[in-house]
Order: sequence, then structure tokens, then C-alpha cells
Amino acid sequence: MTTQTVVLRDVRATYGTGDRQLVALDGVSVTFERGTFSAVMGPSGSGKSTLLHCAAGLDRPVTGSITIDGVVLDGLTEDEVTRLRRDRIGFVFQAFNLVSSLTAEENVALPARLAGRRPPAADVAAALTAVGLAGRRRHRPSELSGGEQQRVALARALISRPAVVFADEPTGALDSVTSRNILDLLRALVDEHRQTVVMVTHDPVAAARADRIVFLADGRIADDARVPLTAEAIAARTTHQVVKPC
Amino acid sequence: MTGALVAVMIGITLVTVALLLLVAGRPKIPDRLAGAAVVVQAPVSNSPADPFPPTIPWSQAKAQEWSGRLAGLPGVGAAVVDRHFYGQVIIGGRASGSTTEGYGWASVRLGGVHLVSGEPPRRPGEVVVDRALGFRPGDPVTLLTAAGPTPYTVTGLSDRPGLLVADEVAARLAPGVTAIGLVLEPGADTAAVEIDARELVGAGGTVLTGAERGALEPRGEARTRWIGMQVLTGVSALAGFVTVFVVASTFAFTVTQRRRELGLLRAIGATSRQVRRMVYGEALLVGSAGAVLGVVTGAAVAPALGRVLIDAGFEPATYEVRYSPLPLLAGLLLGPLVALAGAWAAARRAARVSPLEALREAAVEQRRMGRTRWITGGTLIASGVVLAIATAGSADPQDGATDALLSAMALVTGMVVLAPAVIPPIVALWRLPLRRGGGAIGLLVRQGARSATRRTASTAAPVLLTVAFAVLVAGMVRTSTAAYAAGRAADVTGGRVLVPDDTPGLSDAAVATVAGAAILPTTVFTPDLRALSGLGIDPATFGQAAQGTRLTAGALDGLRGPGAVVVTESAHTGVGATYPLTFADGRLIALRVVGVVADGSIRADLLLSDATVRLHDPSALTSAVHLTDGHPANGLANAGPASAGTSGAAPTDAGAADAAPASAGARVIDVATWAAEADSAEDRLVWLFTLMLIGVSAGYGAIAVANTLLMAAQGRASDLRTVRLAGATRRQVSGYVAAESTLVVLIGTLLGGLVALGALLAIRAGLSEQVGAAVPLVVPWPVIGAVVGLCLLLALAASALPTGRMLRAGALRPPEADL
Ligand SMILES: Nc1ncnc2c1ncn2[C@@H]1O[C@H](COP(=O)(O)OP(=O)(O)OP(=O)(O)O)[C@@H](O)[C@H]1O
Ligand SMILES: [Mg+2]
Repeated sequence: MTTQTVVLRDVRATYGTGDRQLVALDGVSVTFERGTFSAVMGPSGSGKSTLLHCAAGLDRPVTGSITIDGVVLDGLTEDEVTRLRRDRIGFVFQAFNLVSSLTAEENVALPARLAGRRPPAADVAAALTAVGLAGRRRHRPSELSGGEQQRVALARALISRPAVVFADEPTGALDSVTSRNILDLLRALVDEHRQTVVMVTHDPVAAARADRIVFLADGRIADDARVPLTAEAIAARTTHQVVKPC
Repeated sequence: MTGALVAVMIGITLVTVALLLLVAGRPKIPDRLAGAAVVVQAPVSNSPADPFPPTIPWSQAKAQEWSGRLAGLPGVGAAVVDRHFYGQVIIGGRASGSTTEGYGWASVRLGGVHLVSGEPPRRPGEVVVDRALGFRPGDPVTLLTAAGPTPYTVTGLSDRPGLLVADEVAARLAPGVTAIGLVLEPGADTAAVEIDARELVGAGGTVLTGAERGALEPRGEARTRWIGMQVLTGVSALAGFVTVFVVASTFAFTVTQRRRELGLLRAIGATSRQVRRMVYGEALLVGSAGAVLGVVTGAAVAPALGRVLIDAGFEPATYEVRYSPLPLLAGLLLGPLVALAGAWAAARRAARVSPLEALREAAVEQRRMGRTRWITGGTLIASGVVLAIATAGSADPQDGATDALLSAMALVTGMVVLAPAVIPPIVALWRLPLRRGGGAIGLLVRQGARSATRRTASTAAPVLLTVAFAVLVAGMVRTSTAAYAAGRAADVTGGRVLVPDDTPGLSDAAVATVAGAAILPTTVFTPDLRALSGLGIDPATFGQAAQGTRLTAGALDGLRGPGAVVVTESAHTGVGATYPLTFADGRLIALRVVGVVADGSIRADLLLSDATVRLHDPSALTSAVHLTDGHPANGLANAGPASAGTSGAAPTDAGAADAAPASAGARVIDVATWAAEADSAEDRLVWLFTLMLIGVSAGYGAIAVANTLLMAAQGRASDLRTVRLAGATRRQVSGYVAAESTLVVLIGTLLGGLVALGALLAIRAGLSEQVGAAVPLVVPWPVIGAVVGLCLLLALAASALPTGRMLRAGALRPPEADL
């Protein structure tokens, strides 16, 4: 098995056509190794979410190739990509993560059930307990706060032990205590289970928990810091990024 | 989903009712034949165009021969020659409608009719009548037969409608025989007799037993029943279509509203097949539940509706609904099928939702209309127009109505398919006079309708359906009725006509009271068993009654001699050739062709002299007499006794105590009235049929309107909240919602009206050409007004209710999780 869980090579992604075409990713090459925790940072609109969508096979790049857990996505059909996502990828979105008609518990079990399995109730309960929602199993999304919904989504990403978890600002809406819990959970995935985590964040404190920080600007990789940094150093770099003229 | 459930339930209720009623509509065995276990019917002619081909009667001699041989079969007690002829009782100077047929006394032996008092008729001039008419044995009575009013004496009373006369009288009035009833000996085996009889008659007749004897039902009743069947088939087809339509729009709607959720499912690993299956699963559930509810409701209301059909004249009085498993089973199966068909497009669209849609804020679908959609919509509209023109060309108004329905379905579906492309320009048009009008709310309504064209299209679709159906079907029937009237009026010169009054036709006596061109229709048969319609005419006056007649060879005057016939070009024979025909009396006569007329220039297949028709068909009735110009008005219009004095030619009413005028059963009207009135009984049925269809589609469409707008209002809750938070007052929000619903109804009305109007213009063009006269376009405004009003009312109610609830609840309440 390869140590490179996610590989993006020369990925270019655009939105719209003609005059209104907008290049969201402009030749991005990046590799996320197995058992690492990476943060993706950059100004709003720099292409972070787009990068995550491409890497997770939710969106197809115009050019370039993507490999997930040894599988090259390029030639796969829509359904093959879907199955791959179901089995090897966990995803926590920026917003709107849950099916409103299902309870927290059912939402967590959903990917497995879509794959035709019925996850043991104990596993589901354990995943919800891990995100601190043991008591809210039977609640529907409309009865949960934004942060709680985010954590249910995280539980859903954890339960199937995917090769890689993508999280788009998982702590964006949370207070610092809950944030820390979530980051601990992600950290544990990497340290204890050798899973891979790729997280988009604007928060230097959150980014400081990662092993590596990829900085995006205008759809390009502007910086790639592999050593652990302090929150202050990260904040400094981020500011630097923003003021730097293109 | 409740909307779809209600739609399926109503659809299946209608289909179940229609099927139950259809199955119940079996031909009824005439009462008088009830005791004849086996009936041998004269051979049936082959006339593929006629749903009720007439039988070719046996002649007197032939019938005697057959009955003699049939009586000799083992197990047969008697073979009774059954004769029936036209006859009515005149009560108080008017023909009584309760009885229009007479039989020979012999038919009593067939076991269905019993003498309840008095004596059988033994001599001419004696009759047994239905006791319900109030006569007593010994009373004088005037009977109206094809010859005219004739005095009779009541010798006895029977327990059934129908006149019973001496066999020699029946043989004179009905020389041709169409059925011989076999009365079996006690204990005889019906099946064995049937086999023997079949072997004996071979191709010379049809052996009928059990329910097959329903084939002997009078043709008038069969025709009424047939129209009823058409109505029910129409209703079923319409119900099926509208159900698919409503289910389709409901599902399309929920899919649009749930795009984000569907996208989320796709993102976390649902394949497109799973999403599709999910939508189908919901459809199946809704369809099955709706089917069960619908079948139960349908079974409950069918008997009551059966009675309504009898009252409306669609079914004979003997009609009765019986429960049979097949219609119920069909309803149960149809529900899920219809729901699946309706959900088909929505499921495909749901499966195409991309996982990324979960991540985007805008729920509005911005995709342009695809090429397939353009092609599908265009094809549907084109075929709808072609069908509409074909409708105008069909000779039978009944067929016309069915075609009209198909045409409307194609047009409506086509328009709905194309709606997303048509709506933005319409909204833009609407905007012109109101560029500044409406303020902020006006802006919101316009932009909403424009940017969410698909949503607007699917909310407007049910209105479109309802309006288009109402305008098209009503307009088409009214316009074609007007066209036929115009055509008939163009056919004859002005003046007046003598027409039947409470009778199926005019007697000779009534005809003789006036001077004019009489037409005596009859049915004749070619040696190859085809039935042809013949008109008995007087060549001297016929030209005035039918000016469209175009002679291509010979002369009408030739008809004066005996055994002469005028044929149409399609008979492929020439003047001087012999033309053998079997007449109503069963005799085969070799006629001589004396003239040929252009196809379609007479309203029949051939012309005969009236004397020839009368000779062979003693019970034929004159359909109408075109009065010679300047004929004095003689009070015939009232058919009162005053006209008796002028009827010197009346041959029969001397000596009767209750003397009826010779003109009984006739009245004089002017041609314009007649043209408008002719076929009116049938027109009335067709118009009823039409109203029923409009009722079904309008009622159903209204439900769909309410349903989609209710769903739309729920889906719009978050938008409304935003508007409210942005500072709109409750009043403004209510105004916003009302304006939006009104716009949707207007768009639907406009599109529906457009589709219908285009088709109506095409129909009118076709009709004008067919009847050769300018045809007015009749737009049924009251129907349109009622339908649009109903839609608007429901639309406002359906959007105001949930909005009102939301407004009362305050601006910030989260939406209820629905579905
Ligand atoms: N569906 C879309 N259509 C058009 N342009 C889009 C779409 N989604 C994103 N973009 C554009 O692509 C660029 C990159 O967007 P992306 O969502 O990746 O940014 P981001 O880095 O995640 O920003 P944020 O930090 O605000 O979430 C932006 O300029 C955005 O406007
Ligand atoms: Mg983003």
C-alpha cells in the first residue's frame, strides 16, 4: 500500500465559460501522505474549497490527475467515484451536512447503509459519543445547533474509518472548547489510526494542530510549511499572504 | 407528497368507477325473449365502420322454412318466429313515448311477456297493450304505425311495454324476420340444442344462447350504451393522464426543492441509481396507498354514478352496476404504475443532481433547456395540432370528442415541456406596463418568476392544463356543432320542414298532410352482405331537399319506374347495369341502375323511389319533409286537432272514438331551427360528455393547482423569512405571496389559452373546408371564466394559508422539517 493517500498533479479547475470564466485552481500539485494531518489556508476565494472538492472526487478538474488511496480518478465513471468516496473518503462540509429528515444516528449510519451494510448500533453510538453527542442520538438536524450538526457530520466521517477525511472549516462555527475537542478527534485519527486528514481553516490556532500547512492564493500554492509552527507564526504568514500583491 | 397521494387516489377512484360502469354496460336481452334459451339470429351484415352492424332479415318464406326445420330438432318444443315493428299508442292526440315497438302474438310463447287480463289479439284491429297505459279490455285505442294513426280495440293487457297484435298483422308490418326463438322441451339440454341448431343453420344465421342473446338488443339502446362507453373511456383516459401529470408535477417539485439534500446524499456516497430508486420507491408507496384508497372510494360511489348515467341518458334504464374483481384489480395495479410513470422524469432529474449541489447556497437551477426538451415539446405540440385538425375532419362527433381529448393531452404536455423557455419572455412582457409598478414587492415577484423559471413552470403547469382542457374541449365541441349546423343550413333552401315530434320518424299519414320533398330511409344489403343506407325519394321534389346532389350519369327521373336505383360512384357500376339488393322484407330484388351521383353528394349510399322502399319496408319512417314553398301554414306546429280538417289524405282515422289527427307525431319548424336541432339528442349527449370531461379535468386540475402552490409556499418559507427580516411588513409579505400566485395563474392561463386557441383556429379552418361554409369560432367564455376563477381562488387560498401561519408564528421560526 502506498504512503501517498491523496495526490493532485497539475490540477486546474474553472467555473463558468467564456468571458465569465474564473480559474479557481491554476495548476496545483500537492501530495498528502498517509497518517498526516494537513491544513489548507488562504484568503477567501483562493480556491481552498475547490481544492477539497476536487481531491474528494466531488468535482472534476479541467486538466490534471487525482489519485486517492492508489486509485486514479481520471478514467472512473461517476458511480465508481461515488463508491470510492463511500468507502474511503469522509467529508465534513462548510455547511449543510445532514439529511433533515433523518436523526443524528441515522445520518451517521447513512454512508454505510448506502453501501448496503448496517453498521452495529454500538459503533454509531461510539462515534456520536466521541464527538460529545451521546445524548442527542435521536435528534433531527433542525433540533441541533450549527456546531452540533458539524459534529454529527464528523461522526459520520469517522465511523467508516476512511483512508482520508476532508473537512472544510470544521471549527468555523464553534467555540474554542468545542473546537479543541474536534481537533483532538482529528488528531487522534492520524496518530492512532494512521488515517489522513485534510482540513481547510481560517483559524491559525486550529492550523497549528496540523503537521503541515498548505497556503493557497489565487488558485496556486503560495507556500507549503511542513514543520510545526506556532499559531502566531501562522497568523503572520497568513497576513503576509493577504497583503502580498499578485 | 400528500398532493401526489390525493392525485393518485382521485385518479384511481375515477378509473375504478369508469371500469366498474364499463363492465356493467353489457347488452340486455330483450324481455320478450327471456324464455327462449336458444335464439337463432339472421346473419349479421358486415359493415366495419358501424359498431352495431344490422342483421340481414330472412324473408317470410325463408323464416317459415327455418322455423319448421329448427322445430324438428330434438329437445325443441317450438321455434317461434319473432317479429317486431314500429308502433306507438296515441294518448290525448300525442304519441306516448313509453312504447315504440310492437310484436306478433307468437312472441308471447317465448316466455317474457304475459297476458294479465282479457283475450289475445286474434283479428286485425285487435291489440294487447301494457297495463301501465291505463286501458281496459274493450277500450278503443289509436295506434300510430308507419302508415299513420289506425283505430284498434284493446282485447287484453300485458305486463311489459310493447304492443301485441295478431300474427297476420305483425307479418304485414314486419315482413322481414331477424330472429327465431327456440322454446325447449322441459329437461332438454341447452348445449345440445345449441350444437344441433348451429349445425343446421350453418352460415345462414347465428345461434345465440345465454348472455349472447344481448346481441338482439334494439339498436337505439345499443347506441346509447355505446356513447356511454365512450364517455367512460374518455373519463378513464383523462383521469389516467391527469394523474400522471399531477404526480409528475408533484415529484418534479419535490425534487427541485430537495436538490441540496439529494446532492448531499450523492456526496456521502449514494450512487445515481440509488437516488433514482429512492424517488421510485416513494412513488411506489404513494401509488399503492393512493390505489387502495381510490379503489375503495370508487367501489363505493360507482352505483350512485350508474344512476346518474341513466338519468343523463347515457345508459338504458335497465343498467345496473355489479362488482366484479377485474376492475378493482386493475385499479390496484394502475395506481403504482401511474405513480411510477409520473415520477419517471423527476427520478431521472434527481439522479443527475451533482454532489456539489449540496455545497451551493442557491437552490435555483440555472441550467438552460436541453435540446431533447425542445424536440420533445415541439413534437408534442405539432402532433397535438395535427390531431386537432383530424378531429375536425372526423364525421362522427363522438369520435371527434375522443380525438379532441388526445389532441388536448398532446398540446398541454408539449406546452408544459416548453414552458421554461416561454416563461421569461412572458414575465418580461408583463413587466412592460408595470416597469415601475409594484415597488419592491413587484421587483421580487418579477425576478423570482424569471430566475426560477422551472419552479414557475411547474407551478403554472396545472393551471395550464386546466385552462387548456376547458377552452379546447368546450370550444371544439361548440365550434363543430356550429359548423354542422352551418353545413346543414347551407344544404337546403330556406323554408320549413315537417319533423317528428315524440316519435322516431314520420308516418305516411303525416307526410301526406303536407306538400314537399319527403325522404324515407331504409337499410338494404348487397349480395356480399354489406349494409347500405338507401333513401326513398320522389324525384320530382328531391332536388329541392338536397341541393348538393351531383348527378354524374343518368337521371333521377328514372326512379319513377319500378325496380330502379341511383347509386354513388363508389359502387363502380354504370347506368343500365343490374344491381341486386336484399330489402328489409328479406327479398332479393335485382334493381336497375338509372343514375350515378358523386360520392358524398347525398347523405346515403343509394337512392330509391319512395314507392319501392314502402313496398319492401312497411315500417320505414320518413325522417323529414321539406315543405314546398308557399305551402299554407296549417297549424301542424302544434299537431293539434285543428290540423285534422286539412288532412284529407289521411286514410285511416274514420270511425275511431278517440280520433287522432293524421299528423300526430309531427310538427313544422323552419329550416334554421331544424338545422340547429337536427341530431340534437345526440348533440346533447356529446355536450354532456364534454361537460363531464371538463368537470373531471377542471376539478382535478384545481386540486393540482392548490397542491403545487401549497408546496411552493412551504418551499418559499425561507425566502419569505429573509424578505421579512429585510424589513417587509406582514402586509407586504402577504401582498408578495398573493401577487406571486396571481402571476402564476396568469402565466398558466395565458399559455393554456394560447395552446387551445391555436388548436381551435386549426380546427375551424378544417371544419370550414369540410362543410363548405364559414364557421364561427365559438369560445365558451362562461366555461373559461369559471375555470380561471376557480384556479385563481384556489391558488390564492393555497398560498395564503401557509404564509398566514408563518406570519403569525413570527419572523424567525425555523421551517418545519417536511418530508
Ligand atoms: N459554483 C461556482 N460558480 C462560480 N464560481 C465559483 C463557484 N464556486 C466557487 N467559485 C469561485 O471560485 C473561487 C474559489 O472558490 P472557493 O470556494 O474554492 O474559495 P474558498 O477558498 O473556499 O473561499 P472561502 O474561504 O470563502 O470558503 C472563488 O473566486 C469563487 O468565487
Ligand atoms: Mg470555502
